[in-house]
Order: sequence, then structure tokens, then C-alpha cells
Amino acid sequence: MSYSKEDLKDLYDGRLPWEKIKEIMSRPKDDDRFQKYVEILQERVPWKERILLPIGEHLYIVEKGAERIVKCDCGHELGDYRRNWKLAALIFVRDTRQKLEEVYPGIRCPDPDFCEVREFYCPGCGALLKVESVPVGCPIVFDFLPNLDAFYREWLGRPLATDQEPKDLSNEVTLSWRAGIT
Amino acid sequence: MSKQKKGIGDRGQTLKRMLEENRRLLKETGCYAGLTQPQLLRQDPVKAELFHSRMMSSLIAGRETCKMVSGSPYVREVAELCMGIYTPEGDSVLQSTGIQVHVRLMGDNITWMIDNNYEEDVGINDGDLFLANDPVIAGIHAADLYDILPVFWEGELVAWVCTVIMEMDVGAVSPGCMPTTAVERGADGIKFCCEKVGSGDRLRRDFEIKIEMSLDMSDLFLLDRKGAVAANIRVREELKHIIGDFGLDYFKAGIKELIEEERRSQVARIKQRTVPGRYKDVVPFEIYMAETQTSWLPGKRDMIRLIPVRMDILPEGRLVLDFDGVGEWGWHPFNPTPKGLYGALSISVVQTLSYDGRANLGSLLPCEIKTPPVDSLFNPSLIKKLATGNPWPAAIDVFSLWVGMLGTAFYMRGFREEVFNKISSSGWQLAGFDQFGVKRPMMAGTTGNFGCGASGVCDGVDTGAWIATMETDTGNWEVWQLFIPEIYMSRMLEPYSVGCGRYRSGLSMPTMDMLHRVTVGIGSGAIGCAHDRIIPNLGLFGGYPGGKRNTFLVRYHDFKDTVSKRLPLIHEIGDPRTFMDYPYAEVRRLNHMPPTIEVKDKDLLIADNGSPGGLGDPIERDPALQKADLDNGLTNLDITRRMYCIEASYDEKAKEWRIDQKATSQLREARRRERLARGVPVEKWWQQARQRIQEKRLDPLLVEMYRSSMKLSEGFTREYRDFWGLPGDFTF
Repeated sequence: MSYSKEDLKDLYDGRLPWEKIKEIMSRPKDDDRFQKYVEILQERVPWKERILLPIGEHLYIVEKGAERIVKCDCGHELGDYRRNWKLAALIFVRDTRQKLEEVYPGIRCPDPDFCEVREFYCPGCGALLKVESVPVGCPIVFDFLPNLDAFYREWLGRPLATDQEPKDLSNEVTLSWRAGIT
Repeated sequence: MSKQKKGIGDRGQTLKRMLEENRRLLKETGCYAGLTQPQLLRQDPVKAELFHSRMMSSLIAGRETCKMVSGSPYVREVAELCMGIYTPEGDSVLQSTGIQVHVRLMGDNITWMIDNNYEEDVGINDGDLFLANDPVIAGIHAADLYDILPVFWEGELVAWVCTVIMEMDVGAVSPGCMPTTAVERGADGIKFCCEKVGSGDRLRRDFEIKIEMSLDMSDLFLLDRKGAVAANIRVREELKHIIGDFGLDYFKAGIKELIEEERRSQVARIKQRTVPGRYKDVVPFEIYMAETQTSWLPGKRDMIRLIPVRMDILPEGRLVLDFDGVGEWGWHPFNPTPKGLYGALSISVVQTLSYDGRANLGSLLPCEIKTPPVDSLFNPSLIKKLATGNPWPAAIDVFSLWVGMLGTAFYMRGFREEVFNKISSSGWQLAGFDQFGVKRPMMAGTTGNFGCGASGVCDGVDTGAWIATMETDTGNWEVWQLFIPEIYMSRMLEPYSVGCGRYRSGLSMPTMDMLHRVTVGIGSGAIGCAHDRIIPNLGLFGGYPGGKRNTFLVRYHDFKDTVSKRLPLIHEIGDPRTFMDYPYAEVRRLNHMPPTIEVKDKDLLIADNGSPGGLGDPIERDPALQKADLDNGLTNLDITRRMYCIEASYDEKAKEWRIDQKATSQLREARRRERLARGVPVEKWWQQARQRIQEKRLDPLLVEMYRSSMKLSEGFTREYRDFWGLPGDFTF
């Protein structure tokens, strides 16, 4: 089972009718999907670093020298993939009724005493990268930390050049912020 | 030396011995029943396919048999039933179509019987009928009844058949079958702990009398039992034909290989479609019972609990779910048990990974749920003292979010067409005297009408998202109106329920049910969700979660006068800013679990559910998609401009909307500039938020929520302090 890159581009770009999408959903999955997926995305970004893993509509983990960083398709870099990229984004928090009602008017509005809606923007292009709706006081969620080496070595059979322990390093960021508090 | 009693299982073994051996082999080899090299089915794939198909056909035919024999709307209109075939040890081999929550739960009831020595103490004979509905043993709520039938072949128990049906009446305290007012166990209604209720393929007369004396709707309850018994017998007889045709040895080995082959397929799917690593999110669990009338006073309180969800996808192709950090249990009927969590996992796995008709225990073996901390919401040590009429809301909210987590993994692998998430709902359930003057509980199976989350390649499906039973929003409304004293005022898709995004979520469809010819009515929530003030975190990759859900009780000032003057009645939500201003009625807004409340004839009961999430930045939405929504009445100009930055106008002559591409580009560019201007570095926001937390300037319910999680988990406490840079002795 395999699809052409043109078919996949049509799928990703929303050009396929529902009947065709359903057909793809119902068939066995294609083993070469990831390879073609990354090739399509790599052709579309304006930079040269190798995409290791797409992690969102605009975000990719890329290989930059010996580093693996999160990069927006606009070119803005958000740091080591083991640190929650949200910490390097711009944030706008809807924590009042007025701010929440801009999105959720009237009876659709959650209670600002309990719920806040955090919007994370790319500092480079202003793209909305993630909306997070959580109880007030909740730490920012680190949605996903991949085990890249196991993925490439054990699942794809194409080991990466170097190994990096998939350890959450986000605390380094908040610790540095705390150190900066006077 | 005493002679060991001969068992009813394979080669004279007891079922207990077989179960212990199966568990040992799985633990030692990692393969079901120790099948490290399954061969039988692979030797002749055509024969194997025939073997599988005949069993599956028997289950689907059995399910249809049940629908024909039974008379309850839940069976005939919602089809909230499912059948399964199980190994002698209670392991799922095959499931029929229908609600897939019970893949493992039905089997858990059987293994409980085996572990509790039913073979010797109760007796398991050909034609015996067993009945279960105790979530403490296994189940997702007490309204689900499991009818269990053993299958014998020449004196040996070779399989089990089980049918599960949701009942509208289990004798619970009013109102309804999933009472929100229940706190203590006795309030759940009638309980069957894998009780033998019949023999020789017939229900016992004393069982029938017990039901007739205990339930308001005993007729429907007993009709459902007869439907389930008929279905089970039909499948049992077909299994005997299959054994006759294929041979007993093939049958016994084949059903085990079906489980092991599915386990292997599931591991392969995980490796093919996901990415190994750590996935995290949080789910709020809100309970408001301070106003609820409970006889057990500790239940009269509001509480919120945090449920951190962590999923690790391991390199060996296993999923491990961990709820460390979940807060404490409470005196309410919403504490899910660890087995109940597997129910919610089952339905989610079957809809996302194992949807090829071969789902069984093997689908779940690669998925582990770490035992939640003792005395957490998911594992109360006092569970036998608690009502368990409704452990579903927290479990289904967790797994609604989990589906989105898995969708993230699919997206990263390029399988964007498989991305979606879901949401759960809350509606009304009632008790009172119906249009026939009969006192009884009433709950229409029509509350699941909300949209699907956005796909990675197209908009989400409008309604149809209720992952348990799609029929809840497509059922036969006219039948429900005959059965429940309500008139359905409308069925309209609600534009403002949407989760906006480059692809939007499906839209929800509020229920608008007017009580008609009801006397002495009380109403309360039919709770299928655990969120109310906090909208669930269901937006993907820049998409927004759908708006807040609502419950309304509308009481017209003078209904007859309103009608006679031809004044407008409420039949849609309309503009959410002005909905509450409707002039001809008192519009009372309630939370997702209103306390028992008096309802009257001509009251309008509204369950207005939100939608799950959109996907991607809304200002990147293709204007052509939005034009189609405008033309189809699924959105309006307010949403189009405000959320998508699309300028449009209506062409009266052509009777369609026109997109202004230039103005749209300008609006979108302006929105990007606006974001860059108002967005602040996270560090700056973090410092302000940290100060608030240090000073504990949070609502007391949230303070208690964090305190509760910290009490049960050192890991959560450490992570919380680390994130906010708080001192090592910080507590709430």
C-alpha cells in the first residue's frame, strides 16, 4: 500500500473530497507515509535544516548541526526540543471575561475565576501555534517530548547520527527565570 | 489423599486453574496464552477468515435478535447494546457492532466469577443465566446490565457469550438511572453481582418477581433480559455449529490465536502510526453538589479535581497511561474504578486503532493503565460504600482528551486523516408521572448530539461524535416523543458551539425538549461530562476548543398566552450574547449537574453542549470552506469576521455569500500584527502568575484542587514547584 506524493499533497491541502478521504481512512495504512510526509514538508519550508519530526501545523524538530531544535516554518527558532517550546513563544492569556468573550461570547464564555485560555504565538510570524485551556494556576503543558532516537533506530530502521537522551529540560528554563527574580 | 474435583474446563481443569495458567503464560512470555509462535490460523488463512466471520456474523445476528425481542427505546432506538464471545477464562475474542466500552468489562465480570470460585460455590451449568451490573466488580455505571451465558460442548465449558444493555430504570433514587443525587451505594438501585438468575435457558420466576416488585419499569427491564437471553442462546447455538464444522480443537486453539494475533496487530499499528515518547495534558473534573439534596451530608459540597494525563508510547510498541497527580475521591457517584477506566480506554482504542472488526482483548493488551494512587478519584478504597451510578464522566472526559493525544501522534506520522478528538455531554434526566399517569424515571437517549473534533484534512463531522453510540443523535425522535412526555422543539446545529481552527470542529445540536402532559416532574442532570466552568483543552495545533456547554430550564411566564399571541417560542440558542434576555420566560442557567429541581408541564429543558476542538490557526482557514458554511447556515458573519478574519457579504441576487479576498488578507495581516503586539514573552507572564500562586490568590476550589493533588503525589508536587520556581516547602 502506497500513495503518490501528489495524492498526499492533495490530502494535506484539503483538496480531496470526503469520499476519497474516507477511502484512504478505510484502507490499510501505507508504510512509507512518514518518509513522503517529511519530503513534502521539507520541500515547502524556506530553510535547509533537515526535518526530523513535524510536531504541529508550523513547528518542526530539525537537525541543526549537532543540535535538535524546534523551528517554525517562518524560520524562527524556539530552542532545544527537550525544552517545552511554549516557553520560548509569545503568550497572550485570556483570563478576564472581556478577553474570553472575544472568542467565546455570552453563554459560551467559561468562568475566568476558574479557566484561562492561553494562546501561544510564534515571535517570528505571529502564527497561533497552540491554544491551551486549563484551570487557573496550572503549569504550562509540555504536550509532547519524543524519543527521537528510538523512533529512528527501532521503528524506522534509520538511526540518527548521534544519540540524545529524551530528558525533559524545561526546568532549566524556569530555574533560570527564578534566578533572575530580584 | 483427597481426590481433586474434576473441573468444567479444558481436560477436566477448573476454570480457576485455566485462568491462573493463562495469566502466568502472559506474564512470562508477553504473548497471550504463551502463544509465542501462533500457527493454526496462519496455516490456512481462508479457513481462519471463515472461522472469524462466522462467529462475527453470529454476534451481529444475535444483536439484531435482541433488538427485535426487546422493547425498550434504549435497545431499539439507540441500540445501546453490544455482544461478545469470551474464552473460558473470560478473555474477549470478538465483539459485535455496538457500544465498544465493554470489550474487557464483560470479561472482567466473568473472571470475577472464576476468581470467586463460582464453579464450586455457585455452580456453572449449561443453560445457566448470570446477571451483573456492579461497577465495583466491572462496569462503567450501574445502568449497564451484563447478561452472561456459558457455552458447553459435551460437558466442557468452551466459551461464554455476553450481552450488555443500558437500562433506563434500575431502581435508583430519583431521578433516572444515573442519579446525580446518589452518594451511598444503596442509592444506585438494584445490584446484581454476577447473580445466577436463571437456569435451563429460562429466567427464574422469583427473579422476575423481584424485578416486578423493585422497578417502576419492570416490563421493559424484563423484556430486555429476554432479548439478551434470546440473543445469547442464538450465538451459543451458532457456536456449537461452528465447533461441529471446525472441530473442538480448532475452536479452542483458534479463539486464543485470534487474541494473540490482534495483540500483535495492535503493536504493529502503534509502531506504524504513532511516535514514541511522552505525551501530557490535564483534565479538570468539576462536581457541584453543595445544593444537592443528599441524605449523606458529606456529599453536600462542591469540588474540583485535577486529572493529569500522561501517556508514554514505548519503543516496544506499548502505551502506558499514568494518572499520577489525580486528586482525591469524594462522596459522589462519579468516582471511576480502575476497571472502569479500561472501559473508556476500550471504546477509544476501538475507534482509533482497532477499527477493523477484530477488536478483542488483544487490542488492549499493549495498553497499560498504571494503577492510580489509592484514595484518588480513580481508586477510592471505600468504593464499596459509594454510589457508583455514574463513574462515566471523568473517565470519558479523560479519554476524549486521550483521543486527541493519539491524534497528535497520527499527525506527526503523516496520518493526518486519522486526527480527531471528541467531547462528552450532559443533559437532563427526569422522574415523575408521565403522559400515561405512570410514575417512572425518564431519560431520552438524545444527549450525545455534539460535533467531532476537526480532522487533520477536513472539518469535523457535525453531530455524530458520540463515540459510544452514534444513534444517540440520529435515533428516531418520534419514538422518543411517544415514550417520554416531551415535544422536541427543534433539531438545529448551533454555530457558536464550534471549536474554531483552520479546520473547524463539527457543530453541536442542542436538545430543546418541552415537557408535555407531565405531572409531578423532577429533573436533574444526565451527566456524561465532568466539565462546566472550565472548557476542556481540546484545541489542536492552534485551533480553539469549542465554547462552554450549558444547561437551561426555561419556564414561560404564561405559555398559553405566549402561543395565543403568536409570540416566538425558544427553538434555538441564536446569539449567545442575548439568549438569556428572552422576554417571555424565566431562563434559568444551570451547571452540568443541576440538583434535583421541580419541573413543570411546558417547561423547556435545554442541553446545549459544546464542541471539541478546531485544528490549526483560524486565520489560515480556507475562505472557500467558510463560504460553504455561510451558504449552508452553519456559521454567520460575526464568527467569520471575528474568528477567521474573513470579510464576506451576502449577494441577494445570487442568494449566496461572496468572499472579499483583499479585505480578508488585510484583516489577517492586521490580526498577526495584533498578536505580535499583545503577546508577551512567557517569562514575563510567568513572573506575574507565579506571584499570584505564591500568594494563593486563586478561587478556594482551585486551591483545594491543587492541595488534593499534592497530597497524593510527590511527583506532581515536585513538578508543580519546579515549574513555578516555588520553594521546596511550598504547599497550598
